[in-house]
Amino acid sequence: MSLERKDEYDHGAWLAEKDLSIIEKTYLMTLIWLDKRLRIVDYLELLEDMYYKINLQMPKSHTEQYNLDNKFWYWYPLYALGSFSVIAYIVAAVSGALLGFYYAPSTAGETPEAYEAIVAIMKDLNFGFMLRSIHRWSAQVMTAAVFLHMLRVYFTGAYKEPREINWIIGVILLSLTMLFGYTGYLLPWNQLAFWAGQIGVEMSLAVPIVGEWTAQLLFGGFSLGQPTLIRMYILHVFVLPFVVTALIALHIGIVWMQGIAEPH
Amino acid sequence: MSDSDTNEPRTDGSGPGIVAPDDEVPTWRERKERTTGLSRLTYEYFERARREDQDLRQESSYVERDVLGFPAWPHETIRNLALASFFTGMLLFLAAMLPPHLGDPANPAETPSVILPDWYLYWSFGLLHLDPINPELAIVGGEKIMSDELYGVLANVVTVGAIAIVPFLNKGSARRPVEEPFWAAVGVGGVVFAFTMSILPIQDMFPWAVAITFDLAFFLPLVAAAITYAVLKTMREGYMYDLNRRYYRLRPPK
Repeated sequence: MSLERKDEYDHGAWLAEKDLSIIEKTYLMTLIWLDKRLRIVDYLELLEDMYYKINLQMPKSHTEQYNLDNKFWYWYPLYALGSFSVIAYIVAAVSGALLGFYYAPSTAGETPEAYEAIVAIMKDLNFGFMLRSIHRWSAQVMTAAVFLHMLRVYFTGAYKEPREINWIIGVILLSLTMLFGYTGYLLPWNQLAFWAGQIGVEMSLAVPIVGEWTAQLLFGGFSLGQPTLIRMYILHVFVLPFVVTALIALHIGIVWMQGIAEPH
Repeated sequence: MSDSDTNEPRTDGSGPGIVAPDDEVPTWRERKERTTGLSRLTYEYFERARREDQDLRQESSYVERDVLGFPAWPHETIRNLALASFFTGMLLFLAAMLPPHLGDPANPAETPSVILPDWYLYWSFGLLHLDPINPELAIVGGEKIMSDELYGVLANVVTVGAIAIVPFLNKGSARRPVEEPFWAAVGVGGVVFAFTMSILPIQDMFPWAVAITFDLAFFLPLVAAAITYAVLKTMREGYMYDLNRRYYRLRPPK
């Protein structure tokens, strides 16, 4: 007596009733053998799905669909602001990694060592001045692009109903971008950096209960010094890059899943 | 074999052995449908959602296109690469033309005459200068409830919070500013407010009284919002006809 059920999924019987060549038979039996163990069918389905998703075709072009043939100006360029901020972020990451080779987060010495390092990058290092310039400008452009991107999303109503989560992630990303800029602003340890840091300490100290704790955590004390600089450095090159990159991936992933809001 | 021939109950803990499945034995699908708790609920919900989706698609009067987007290659990819390289080139050009400035090294003993963050934090820095409207309570004898600094920090938190809850206040299918003049006015007012807040830290530098600058910082956003509202309200009628024709066919209003 056999426990195997004789049903439509009995591949052996199905195989037997077909008149197959030896090659076909071997192929099919191998396939069935593998499929029983690895469920290849599921993955084939995935592949097929991907194939059709990649090779989609549209009956109407973008301009036809939105009847734009007679329009000179359109909102469409503003839809590139999100990817512009990503590009600027990548440029900033590359140039920042190169700058990191030559920078030292230290306030030691008559003139702070960090400041000396920046001076050395700008004066002695080949291409160093340009490198710092690229890093700074890509940061500026990224911040500007993020702001304008938010305005575009607001004025085209793209934040509405199914997309609330992405709007909130976007607000968080905007805040983190500004924090990125702020921590980077403090790294050269010049007068501007020092007094901007002073404002930060005073802001956190103004908060009643958690203020002193925050000042300790973020600025390493109630007055600025070596601990502040090293904390800003770690935030700028270690913590924020991971957090912001992960959030950008999530942000774009959700856009991919939900689609770009109509109309565009 | 001799062991199984005897019908005496066995004391070694082994069970009655495997029973062949008959018609009474539930299939895996039935078992899955019979399970209870969260997994059962999830399963039921997904089944219902799928059916609902299918019904909606079948009932819908508008024709669903069988294909939904452009091919990514070659058009889109080449266009995106071109845009990206143009943009990067623009960045390098900026960097080459406008080199960054490096001021004096940090000196805790010497406070500079102007303390400013980078430009994108001007609005936030401006919100720290709201001390004239920090409320005073008569009960506490005219003293302020909280320090001016705390008031400024809270103003920052409130601003970011207000931006974050926008999608929960404004719902619906309207997409263009002309469709919702009020929200467009709020947006324009907000942008102008960010600029007027940015000039608060340097309010002493204007040739007129400080109070005038401070009042203007709150009055100008309102003016801008009112103008936006009026203009969009006027434009609305002519625009709505075109809008309806253009894309309400794709996105029928509920």
